[in-house]
Amino acid sequence: MPRRLDLKKVMVIGSGPIVIGQAAEFDYAGAQACRALREEGISVVLVNSNPATIMTDVEMADRVYIEPLTPEFLEQIIARERPQGLVPTLGGQTGLNLASKLSELGILEKYDVELLGTPLSTIQKAEDREQFRALMREIGEPVPESWIIDSDATLAELSVQDNLPWPLIVRPAYTLGGSGGGIAYTIPELLEIGGRGLRLSPVSQVMIERCLVGWKEIEYEVMRDANDTCITICNMENFDPMGVHTGDSIVVAPSQTLSDKEYQMLRTASLKIIRALGIEGGCNVQLALDPDTYAYYIIEVNPRVSRSSALASKATGYPIARVAAKIAIGLHLDEIENKVTGRTLACFEPALDYCVVKIPRWPFDKFKSADRRITTQMKATGEVMALDRSFESGLMKALRSLEIGVLGLGYRHAAAWSDEHLDHLITVATDERIFAIAEAMRRGRSIDTIHAASYIDEWFLKKIKNLVDMELWLTGVNDGFVQRLAEAKHLGFPDRVIAALAGVRLDDVVLARKGMGIKPSYKIVDTCAAEFEAQTPYFYSSQDTEDELLRD
Amino acid sequence: MKKKIIVLGSGPIRIGQGIEFDYCSVHCVWAIREAGHEAIIINNNPETVSTDFDTSDRLYFEPLTAEDVLNIIEREDPIEGVVVQFGGQTAINLARSLDDAGVRILGSSADSIDLAEDRHQFEALLRKLDIPKPEGRAVTTAEAAVTVANEIGYPCLVRPSYVLGGRAMEIVYTEDELVNYMTYAVDVSPKAPILVDRYIVGRELEVDCISDGVTCLLPGIMEHIERAGVHSGDSMAVYPPQNVSEITKQKVVDYAVRIAKEMKVVGLMNIQFVCDGDEPYVIEVNPRSSRTVPYLSKITGIPMVKVATRCIMGEALADMGFPEGLYPEQKNPAVKAPVFSFQKLVGVDNALGPEMKSTGEVLGQDVTYPGALYKAMVGAGLRLPITGTVLFTVANSDKEEALPIAREFAAMGYALQATSGTAAYFASNDLHVETVAKITESEDNLVTRIHSGQVGLVINTLSKDKRIEEEGQLIRRATVERSVPCMTSLDTAAALLLALKARAEGTFGVMTVDEYLTTK
Repeated sequence: MPRRLDLKKVMVIGSGPIVIGQAAEFDYAGAQACRALREEGISVVLVNSNPATIMTDVEMADRVYIEPLTPEFLEQIIARERPQGLVPTLGGQTGLNLASKLSELGILEKYDVELLGTPLSTIQKAEDREQFRALMREIGEPVPESWIIDSDATLAELSVQDNLPWPLIVRPAYTLGGSGGGIAYTIPELLEIGGRGLRLSPVSQVMIERCLVGWKEIEYEVMRDANDTCITICNMENFDPMGVHTGDSIVVAPSQTLSDKEYQMLRTASLKIIRALGIEGGCNVQLALDPDTYAYYIIEVNPRVSRSSALASKATGYPIARVAAKIAIGLHLDEIENKVTGRTLACFEPALDYCVVKIPRWPFDKFKSADRRITTQMKATGEVMALDRSFESGLMKALRSLEIGVLGLGYRHAAAWSDEHLDHLITVATDERIFAIAEAMRRGRSIDTIHAASYIDEWFLKKIKNLVDMELWLTGVNDGFVQRLAEAKHLGFPDRVIAALAGVRLDDVVLARKGMGIKPSYKIVDTCAAEFEAQTPYFYSSQDTEDELLRD
Repeated sequence: MKKKIIVLGSGPIRIGQGIEFDYCSVHCVWAIREAGHEAIIINNNPETVSTDFDTSDRLYFEPLTAEDVLNIIEREDPIEGVVVQFGGQTAINLARSLDDAGVRILGSSADSIDLAEDRHQFEALLRKLDIPKPEGRAVTTAEAAVTVANEIGYPCLVRPSYVLGGRAMEIVYTEDELVNYMTYAVDVSPKAPILVDRYIVGRELEVDCISDGVTCLLPGIMEHIERAGVHSGDSMAVYPPQNVSEITKQKVVDYAVRIAKEMKVVGLMNIQFVCDGDEPYVIEVNPRSSRTVPYLSKITGIPMVKVATRCIMGEALADMGFPEGLYPEQKNPAVKAPVFSFQKLVGVDNALGPEMKSTGEVLGQDVTYPGALYKAMVGAGLRLPITGTVLFTVANSDKEEALPIAREFAAMGYALQATSGTAAYFASNDLHVETVAKITESEDNLVTRIHSGQVGLVINTLSKDKRIEEEGQLIRRATVERSVPCMTSLDTAAALLLALKARAEGTFGVMTVDEYLTTK
């Protein structure tokens, strides 16, 4: 179906100020959506209270309002502008909550504003735990046992129930980044965390759920149009097993440790869910997978663009927000051009011939007194991403992008950790866990031991071991470093780290490297693993021979 | 063939370096492309517009270290140069390595950047220009710090050089505090000296200027609402300034123009001042874009990054139609307010101080100053108490100043509560106030009252007494947990009063960004 010609003016609500759990990704999504709508000749009314955004530039929309994101101010803008439609799924949880509120208050009806894209009833079905669970049961998708609690009294009642599947996870309803949640191992902990969650939840509601600590956490980014065409953009695997918020987890794309059977099983489940919900646009499905059996549970569905969709867009080159905006105004996936290749359509599923590594950026360098544990409540303010041909070199790139004073797995506090503290750092996830794993390997701990304490998949640990082994080999070799220089560069070691480990000057490494002709080549992100000619100008480096960057 | 220009991005979002720098990088790229050149961006943050594949002519998704950047430069050779001034401290920090490797830095040179960050060179420059800065010196030992402090007098502002977002910056009131700080701070940056400055408790002003090397334009002066001592990223700010004399403005402009010229700034520069009466003192100069550039661009109507980028590419401000000095002020006020994420971070004190803690910001635009304040506060997510109870617990030194604020809240019909000391002081000044027990005094105390939802607003200033402060932290944490607004600066509290009064008197309209610029 071509785009709806009755739509002339559409309103887009931004996500407001940057807070933990809602960062720049919504400026990226919103800016892309504004452009996508205007390309179709639609006049865009943009509202956001955050002035530090591209989307609030006068060039991005026809009418730009920097006003508070409250129903009162939004009503005034709607009354003034009289948009025909509103896209609620581009402004994060803030935009979604406001759209729901405007609908509830009858403001949308009063001014005859239509919600575009995913219907509100669908959003509620995905966000309301009870409705969501009922739907999952209906379509035969497994969800973990859980209880909705809305008062201290019912919380106390539940806590003494027999046969509770301890430990239990507490998630407050309608809060950003799962604010106020946590894992309870005992009755007093349940009462404490649950009580705090009830106070923080705007609807005074928490969900208490079977805790799947140690299971793999996998995400699928899927899209659907009004014609019921569904595609997978990509899947992502959390390095940190269940129990760590995905925004606080190291994430790789595509998944690295799943068998084809597991991959297809979870993909099928994700597509089934987006169809059952009737989403028109993008959607993020989070699943927990038992590493030992084929058992899995559906954890969460985000019926909107999200931090994960921004990551998936950058990881694949597929512009999810742009396509979601086009779907919202009636276009179908097979009618939207893929701008990266210029010749495929948006219904074409991306393929990746590289490994993507995302690492969160936490504020603990500033907040020394903060609790550094990473759990179900997100604490990171931002993130970095790296692309390369292997997990090892991708991880090394991402680590040195963090700007926390590290250039790799070396960490200045690590040597001083006692063995006991080191064990603790591996068992209890904090921002320092990746460095603790490397330190444990330096001290001779086996992969099995580290896996048993952290549940992190052995595949990831083996890769880290490769890096630590190289580090140990390089240590103190002096000029001998040249023997394995190519290999070290291939693993992603920066010159500076090689020099420091080997005990030589930086210039010695640079000269040796140049003398041996070792330099990165540049690879293209083309969304299709080179199946089609790409026009995209998006590159990453790799110590690989073939250079895909064409000279002018 | 088109000239190729590389723009360095700002890496991951962190406290002190937020989305503003991505905004600046994107606008720089756009300006380069508009001028007919090829813009290449290097960045590693997947959340941003700068890493959208159609923002630049070429995107390298790579780490921002010297080695990674130099490899790209080699691959792209020949290039016109690299722009480092829009990517925050991340990009600026690479200027020296790139310059050493023979790469051309476009705009302000690596030497200009060093000049602003090297305390000794910078002090010499200000002396030469006869521009005042708070007295103080750089020291490397605790003994030297004490000597300097004794000379200039307490309180002192102490901080390591080369820091971002005011990390490890503190105000010390006694020798003990100073010695404690020195022991702690030396660990923060072992090689860099520590700066010990006289702490001037005055009004803070901030400017962003654009220079082409010959002419210097100031799009506007921003006035901080909280007095010195609160990090500029955490203070509210208003444009145009509401309480600044003409003479001060002239001095600010004169100093900024002369500093820009002496430092040979090409592109953007940010300067912060603290005023002692009418006299502005320079406290910080950053020869790069700052976090205030996006909003100042929007409220002055000057596309600052675009203009600065054109300067960097060799155009003259005069040819673009911009005069030297301060651009005519807009009529409609705009207020920036910080936004915090304390609910996510257990163990972090929500009191404002010299270390930056906010994660984001909002802007309130209106036709009146109180209206803009109200919108900024509502936009920042503060649950403004329309009626109800205001709880005061302020340090002894702040009681006198808190009194008129309390009086106005009472006059507006709010009920007052206070802890014993504050309550006694208010009562002796004929205010009706209920005394609330401290935590140790009763089961029914101020923290339980906050938790039970009986308090709509808390005004709590920091005490220097550690024992009192332990309780202060519990009080403030309770306000975070209950989402009760908590003002730790009396300046913010006074601004809130203005906003609430305006709210009580009427409603506020809405206008587009363009309309605020053109509606007189």
